[in-house]
Amino acid sequence: MRITAISGVLRRLASTRLTLLWMLLLALGAALSYDNPEDTSIWVLIVPMLLLAVNLIAAIISNPRINRRGGLLVFHLGLLSIVVLAAIGRLTHMDGRVEIISGAAFSPELVTDVHSGPWHNGALADVSFVQGPFTVEYRPQIMRGLTHSQVALSDNEGGWREVVVGDDRPLLVEGYRFYTTFNKGFAPILSWTSQNGRVTETGAVHMPSYPLFDFKQSNSWTPQGGDEIKFWLQLEAGLTAEEAWVLDGRHATGTLVVNVSGVRTELLPGQRVEMAGGTLRYEQLTTWMGYKLFYDPTLQWMFLAAFITIGGLSAHFWRKLAAEPLGLDDALRHEKRHAKKPLPASRSAA
Amino acid sequence: MTELPWLYAGLAAYALAVLVAFVGVGRLGATMATVGGVGSISESQRNNERLVLSLMATSVILLTITLADRWLRIGHGPFVNLFELLISQLFSLGLVYTIAYWLIPVLRTTSVVVLPLMGVLAVWVLVIEPSDSVFPPTYHNPWLWAHVGFGKFFLAFCLIGTGLAGVMLLRSYAFFSKLFRHLPDNVILDKLAWRFMLLALVFDSLMLCAGAVWAQDAWGRYWAWDALETSSFLNWLLLGASIHARTTYNVPIRLGAVLIISVLVFAFVTYFGTPFYSEAAHKGVI
Repeated sequence: MRITAISGVLRRLASTRLTLLWMLLLALGAALSYDNPEDTSIWVLIVPMLLLAVNLIAAIISNPRINRRGGLLVFHLGLLSIVVLAAIGRLTHMDGRVEIISGAAFSPELVTDVHSGPWHNGALADVSFVQGPFTVEYRPQIMRGLTHSQVALSDNEGGWREVVVGDDRPLLVEGYRFYTTFNKGFAPILSWTSQNGRVTETGAVHMPSYPLFDFKQSNSWTPQGGDEIKFWLQLEAGLTAEEAWVLDGRHATGTLVVNVSGVRTELLPGQRVEMAGGTLRYEQLTTWMGYKLFYDPTLQWMFLAAFITIGGLSAHFWRKLAAEPLGLDDALRHEKRHAKKPLPASRSAA
Repeated sequence: MTELPWLYAGLAAYALAVLVAFVGVGRLGATMATVGGVGSISESQRNNERLVLSLMATSVILLTITLADRWLRIGHGPFVNLFELLISQLFSLGLVYTIAYWLIPVLRTTSVVVLPLMGVLAVWVLVIEPSDSVFPPTYHNPWLWAHVGFGKFFLAFCLIGTGLAGVMLLRSYAFFSKLFRHLPDNVILDKLAWRFMLLALVFDSLMLCAGAVWAQDAWGRYWAWDALETSSFLNWLLLGASIHARTTYNVPIRLGAVLIISVLVFAFVTYFGTPFYSEAAHKGVI
């Protein structure tokens, strides 16, 4: 009795009418999710997907037209696995942004704009690489071309292995993917020594993205015990808008204009300036590369599931079509017959 | 732009193919009227079909030269602006339809539906600026080829299905009923049309998957509900739901034909509308 009742419930849940209804609901949710508007809840997608998943599970269990046909079963199980993997992916994912100067090592503290799922459990602390120099090719009219970013990876035996990443070739470390972005620029390395000599700090001031903000290479910094210092970088990077050009920080020079309380000083690398609270030294000019960071442990499984799903669908169609003759040969024979004599009136009308 | 003469020659061959196809089907109708509403496939009609096939093949060859010449001149394939996409689609739709026209004789009459639909693209390509494009850095990826290739087959199979659907719908009018009298029953055409839509579903699914792999490589996410992704997904859902309805319920032939045409219309908007009304085809690309 109980089994009959369960079967009845399963059959209702597996209704093909419900499938169409939930597909319609999912289409509505997808339309509302277009461009990820902030005022649309993620539930407009999750609810129809859950309903479709229930419908699918019930159909797989109770519908012999699905569970007795290998290809169709693989297709439906594949669809279900894609939904499950997408959900796991969202729960465990992480994305963020990071800017790293050439010659510096990656550190998790540098990552900003972080979004991660509640089950994210990646080993970001184990990610180790050192940013090397990079080049970006530009066509005339400053049209960005290929990016080649050199990165040194630890080989876990005390040595380093150089790789070049860029554009659609991300750096893959510990399951994290680092994608180069259009966001990159110059960074003067500065040393600050307080007047009493007790505080010494060295760091880089990241100037705005270059050449996007070629006209606005300015930033500011407040050292410990000092006043706010405003910087403006006068760059010589070889940029010519009319010709093809390669952005290469190794061939760029920059004069740093330092402004404290209205007092303006120009510094070349190696020069220093005394100011209230201490001494600022312009050590050298370097570059920074902005990466987009992405982590999703389900990616490979999703890839596999998607192509197995399509394989199942194709196999099902192949078998189905082979088993059900179209009748086209008969139709063609019919056509050939009537190439010699008129069509019978009974077959002539549509 | 050295490729333009080849393009115009290709479109001229294509226009001739449309003309000959219509004249051929028209003659067939006239023959039927002469013999009192009963028609037959004559040798002259066969010659007419051969001429249409030759003209379509010539058009495809000339469009191939157009694409190759442009590729050599600007250094990249036809993947970026609308002008390139239209030539590329005219080439691929023309190629697949020409092969289908050659191999499946029943499809030949559908040329009066399919060729005018392709004609929309041909006229469109003539009225837009044939500007050069810049190849985005994220397009140097083999998955782009897979994505675009699968998409071309998807659209071509939708187009062939629509040709059959159009014939089935037009048959309800007396004039077209006579023209299409030599074709098999609608039941058989309906089955054939849906077989092409099954193929379209497989290739649409492959296109979405290949596109997702490319998107992951190119922009660090496999799906982001941007304009083109949302439109493609809705197109896939519409096609999937249509096939689901067709295989589960006894969908009337005419309603089935309308569903097939709806899928092509949606695909047309997705391919040629969405990338150009949204600010960026895929964010951060162009």
